[in-house]
Amino acid sequence: MQTEEFTKIFGSEENGAKAEAERVPAAASVRGVSKSFKGTTVLEDIDFDVSEGESLVLLGASGSGKTTILRIIAGLDEPDTGRVILHGKDVSELPARERNVGVIFQNYALFPRMTVEANISYGLRIRGRSRKEIREEVERLIELVGLKEHHKKYPSQLSGGQQQRVAIARTLAYKPQVLLFDEPFGALDAQIRVRLRREIHALLKKVNVPAIFITHDQEEALEMGDRIAVLNAGRIEQIGTPHEVYNKPETEFVATFLGAANLLLGVVAGRNVSIGSVMIPCDEEVAQFQDGQSVKIVFRPEDVCLSRTGEMPAGARRLVNGVVEEISFVGAYERLSVRLDFSARQPAPNEPPLYSVAANASEQRLGVPIIVTRPKSEASGMPLNSGDVVAVGLTSLRALPNFTLASERAGRIVAARK
Amino acid sequence: MSATVKAMRHVRGFDAVRPLSIGMMIIIMLPLVLLPLASIFIFGTNKGMGSFWAALSAPEAIFALKLSIVTSFWATVFNVLFGLLAAYVLSRYMFWGRTALIVTISLPTAIPTAVAGFALLLLWGKYGMIGQYLSEDHQIMFTPYAIILANIFVTFPLAFGVLMSVFETMSRSLEEASATIGATRWQTFWYVTLPSLRGALVTGALLTFARAIGEFGSTILVSGNLAMRTQTAPLYIFAKFNEGQVEAANAVAIVLALFSFVIFSILFFTRDWLDAD
Repeated sequence: MQTEEFTKIFGSEENGAKAEAERVPAAASVRGVSKSFKGTTVLEDIDFDVSEGESLVLLGASGSGKTTILRIIAGLDEPDTGRVILHGKDVSELPARERNVGVIFQNYALFPRMTVEANISYGLRIRGRSRKEIREEVERLIELVGLKEHHKKYPSQLSGGQQQRVAIARTLAYKPQVLLFDEPFGALDAQIRVRLRREIHALLKKVNVPAIFITHDQEEALEMGDRIAVLNAGRIEQIGTPHEVYNKPETEFVATFLGAANLLLGVVAGRNVSIGSVMIPCDEEVAQFQDGQSVKIVFRPEDVCLSRTGEMPAGARRLVNGVVEEISFVGAYERLSVRLDFSARQPAPNEPPLYSVAANASEQRLGVPIIVTRPKSEASGMPLNSGDVVAVGLTSLRALPNFTLASERAGRIVAARK
Repeated sequence: MSATVKAMRHVRGFDAVRPLSIGMMIIIMLPLVLLPLASIFIFGTNKGMGSFWAALSAPEAIFALKLSIVTSFWATVFNVLFGLLAAYVLSRYMFWGRTALIVTISLPTAIPTAVAGFALLLLWGKYGMIGQYLSEDHQIMFTPYAIILANIFVTFPLAFGVLMSVFETMSRSLEEASATIGATRWQTFWYVTLPSLRGALVTGALLTFARAIGEFGSTILVSGNLAMRTQTAPLYIFAKFNEGQVEAANAVAIVLALFSFVIFSILFFTRDWLDAD
């Protein structure tokens, strides 16, 4: 049900954005940006749009080049090739100060010798606005970010979260075309982080300024982003709504970087994928593949259903049988490690559904281990112990091409895009 | 400082090492540092404040002190401005020969002041490399300008060194933030960079001034030590002592010593304010 809700919300929003993109130019576009540094490629053919009022998250591990993209948009770094376009205007040749973008630096970069007020009004003062205008605008912004009682303080007297709000207000003062957040919550501790990102999310919706976030935290990306671009080694692996990126990962990296994922190697056989001696019916998932092509089956731990009777809930596909190896309780849910037995055959029509499992014997660890999570309600409804034999089914899965060589993979991605 | 550091206790009861070591330290310092300083004040005032004032208000003494202050002031102005420029350029731009330039700027620290004065004479003197092209009326050596030149040379690296270390530790993101907000380079420098250099500028200026006002070795060579014309305070002390007028020398010595006390106190007691960022 939750999934349906997701699809509804994000699906409609995406359609709206698409229609809008045809009428007006995107708020910010990055076109074919590449950069190498001392012979190493940092960014390769980066291409994306951010529409008006949208939040895009660039998600990637450290060293994936995400900060470089941000600096190129802001004009702090120069790309080797490619353009940056803001509201239809090519700003690639403009220096940082003429681009009118707001950057919220990781350490906030507040001016230490200026009060909160002076920091916020800086952009207006250097633009030579009248005193009255500056005073009114600063008052409005301080109100907006909720720092009324701190306006005479210096940055060093504020907490991390307050400093960040000053940094945001400082950029909002001069009405930037796009806000760029560099790891905005990296320097804060976990509890404040969650609260702050909700605050900022709400604030951004209120001021309706397009924003680009940079993060390595997948939970943050899913929460903050209207869309997420997953970066790996200087390339965008996938760009889409949180729902798309999480539930329909296009590459193995995306699947494993955004949350936990189980991977099984298989071969396409007609409209099935065969793993060992087991055939899994995959109608639409394998439509793009040829017969006999090697694929990887990807599924999330929460997409697995376990059953003692062999009966699967509606919509779930029967995979194989397995043995529960390990159970750990992780607070909100239960995590199990289940060893799948792919050497066994599917049960014949009148055979009992839970036939013996070859992978059970401790001395011969055949089979493939997978990770399964079950919500509390399910865990207490059907308690399992290690050693139990269960039938394993999947509510959803993805089939991805299994590239054996990195170069082959790179070639495919480029070919697919062009 | 000492109040915050608790000495480790190695022994039970009375620890004899503590008073002994403190006492020994003071005994060593006494003849080396404390007594010479004290003797200036004791000797200078033992004939009463009247003779002290008389010695100090001699026109030659007043002239020497004034000349010292004026020449040191201009040397300080030049070296702080130049140090600011050099530190900015050398910390912000990478170019071929950058390290060689940093070493060259810092070199005067290691050169004996007499050598520095001698070198200036060879360059600017009547028959020097540049001096030979100057007309008789525009000769620089043996004028107050020569003293400023010598002071600049000797104090060259002081302000630069202080500023450079601040520039190198300064976070670039402040300047980058200012640029993305829309400031020009000049606005960024004026509103963001310079306020962060406040402490370094004051420290650099005081160090330069303190060093310049006491300069002797190079000054005596380039100035000619002409009373009422090119005689600075340290040269006056030396000249009067040679003439046997110890009281006259001593009065000016007291003023110079007080000067350095004041400068040092400013540096010491405003340290927190200067370092604050």
